[in-house]
Amino acid sequence: MENILTNLTQFLFEETSVAERAWLEVQAQSNALELMTAFVAAPRFISKKNVTYDSQVRENLISHLPGFQADGWNLVRLSRVWLLLHLESEPKEQFIKNIETLFDTAELNELVALYSALPLLPYPWEWLARATDAVRSNMGFVFDAISLKNPYPELYFPEAAWNQLVLKTIFNGKPIHWIYGLERRKNKELSISIFDFISERYAAGRKVPAQVWRLVGSFVEESTYPKLVQLFASKEKEEREAAALVCFESKNPQFRSLLSKYPELELSIQNGDLDWSKLESISE
Amino acid sequence: MCQNPNEPSKNPSHFESSNTTEEPTHRDLLWEEYQNLIEGMRFFDPHIHMVSRTTDDYQMMAKAGIVAIIEPAFWVGQPRTGLASFKDYYSSLVGWERFRSSQFGIKHYCTMGLNSREANNERLAEEVMEILPLFAYKEGVVGIGEIGFDDQTVLEEKYYRLQLELAKKAKLPVQIHTPHRDKKRGTERSMSIALEHGLDPSWVVVDHNNEETVKSVLDQGFWAAFTIYPFTKMGNERMVAVVEKYGSERIMINSSADWGISDPLAIPKTAALMKQRGIPSDVIRMVTYQNAIDAFSKSGQIDVADFEIEFQPDPNAKFHGNSILRGGQQPVISKNSLLIQ
Ligand SMILES: [Zn+2]
Repeated sequence: MENILTNLTQFLFEETSVAERAWLEVQAQSNALELMTAFVAAPRFISKKNVTYDSQVRENLISHLPGFQADGWNLVRLSRVWLLLHLESEPKEQFIKNIETLFDTAELNELVALYSALPLLPYPWEWLARATDAVRSNMGFVFDAISLKNPYPELYFPEAAWNQLVLKTIFNGKPIHWIYGLERRKNKELSISIFDFISERYAAGRKVPAQVWRLVGSFVEESTYPKLVQLFASKEKEEREAAALVCFESKNPQFRSLLSKYPELELSIQNGDLDWSKLESISE
Repeated sequence: MCQNPNEPSKNPSHFESSNTTEEPTHRDLLWEEYQNLIEGMRFFDPHIHMVSRTTDDYQMMAKAGIVAIIEPAFWVGQPRTGLASFKDYYSSLVGWERFRSSQFGIKHYCTMGLNSREANNERLAEEVMEILPLFAYKEGVVGIGEIGFDDQTVLEEKYYRLQLELAKKAKLPVQIHTPHRDKKRGTERSMSIALEHGLDPSWVVVDHNNEETVKSVLDQGFWAAFTIYPFTKMGNERMVAVVEKYGSERIMINSSADWGISDPLAIPKTAALMKQRGIPSDVIRMVTYQNAIDAFSKSGQIDVADFEIEFQPDPNAKFHGNSILRGGQQPVISKNSLLIQ
């Protein structure tokens, strides 16, 4: 907890004006109700300017919490997360009640800040139901706050909830590579659902983003073969590249020999020129 | 809490005439009859309960020139049984209702408060007071309201005072609801308590005035709001007389339209009447628009650019993924069409 606060404080205070910092420092000293009020009142005292940083430099804003990012947040959101870290965490029941009250009374921007703060809060398992609920939400900003660039799901979501998150991200046309821990939590069950989804979309004459295939690659089966042949025949360069990457990842000799029919693609993968990151597009 | 449901005086909306023989002072006025009189005027209704109103109202209000409104938290008509229903109601004021309003090009603000009648349930009132700050400081909340007296009980006074303190701390204007029974005394008592708590009267809007209360309210430096509500003690012909007598300084008009028989077009209609009676345009503008903005802008939450610059509602916008439009509806339909397609 100490570490998180130190890292975040340093980063926050680099971005605030003298007056903003003074206000934040006063709030940090106050009792729970005042802190909660400050969480709500933040836009009255803090500017909404966007906080951006070179994500290469600050890939891991909190040293022992990989994946936690504040890039693209506004200062109010960052300040709100910071204020929550000052809530007394003992006794546990009171802390949980305070966070629950904030959730119950939150408007949209407050919800975004609350979900952004989940990986930093004590008692992380207590927020699991809220977090999986947020994935089902129709509120775009709330969905993004929990699902994208947030390490909480990778750390705490059970497989079914994780798969739900990934599928909904694809379904909503959002960039799956912004889901933190995507590679590490690939699984067979997810690949089956995604493959169903892909088939359904193709049957309806619609497309899926080429990078979605990255989630199926290591799980392809015989039955996938005709789909890949079809994918190699696509007019879209990205789809042909996705087909090549899937075959390359497969242990199945049948798929490897399919790839060998496209020596240029095979070569660029072997050279390291082509990998999934080349297909990470961000749709509007 | 133990009210006799057959006793009408225990179930009033904003006003209720105890004298049922009194003639209504409200006149029916067709849009065609007055639209040219208010051509190009912009109106701000600082007291209207849209949660009780329909989409038709929003459409007519926008057409009549209402560009912004304030929705005070109030009594929804039956007692609430738990804190959760307060949370949901307050959330709707800053959430869904604000969104719905925006879909008709009307900027929606609100004031937050525990209604006087609800102060009489002490257990619940205590719980509400705990979460009230979490709503009072939200964006677009322009005051603490509507608070004050209903039956003028001890508990009403207790929570009125506590909320005045909250307003002071949050640097928010106060919107006072004055009681319909024993109004004169209730109004004086509301003002003297506000002064006792050190509130600057220029931060306090005293609502639902009549000829009997207006002078004292203005003399003591408060804002005097008038509610044009049919079948009540303040009709708009008498409103014209009040403006003729007292001028436009610190006077504002509202509709207080709610679940009772009320008129969301009370302001444009009254403006038309004032125009007809020869009241100068700048005076009309003050009492139907500018004064409300000046009073509630002290909250720091009103940016007139949000409604003074013409804006087209975005028909594709969504609130929490929900639209106000059901399957394929268009946001604007012809009200003159016989066929409802
Ligand atoms: Zn009211």
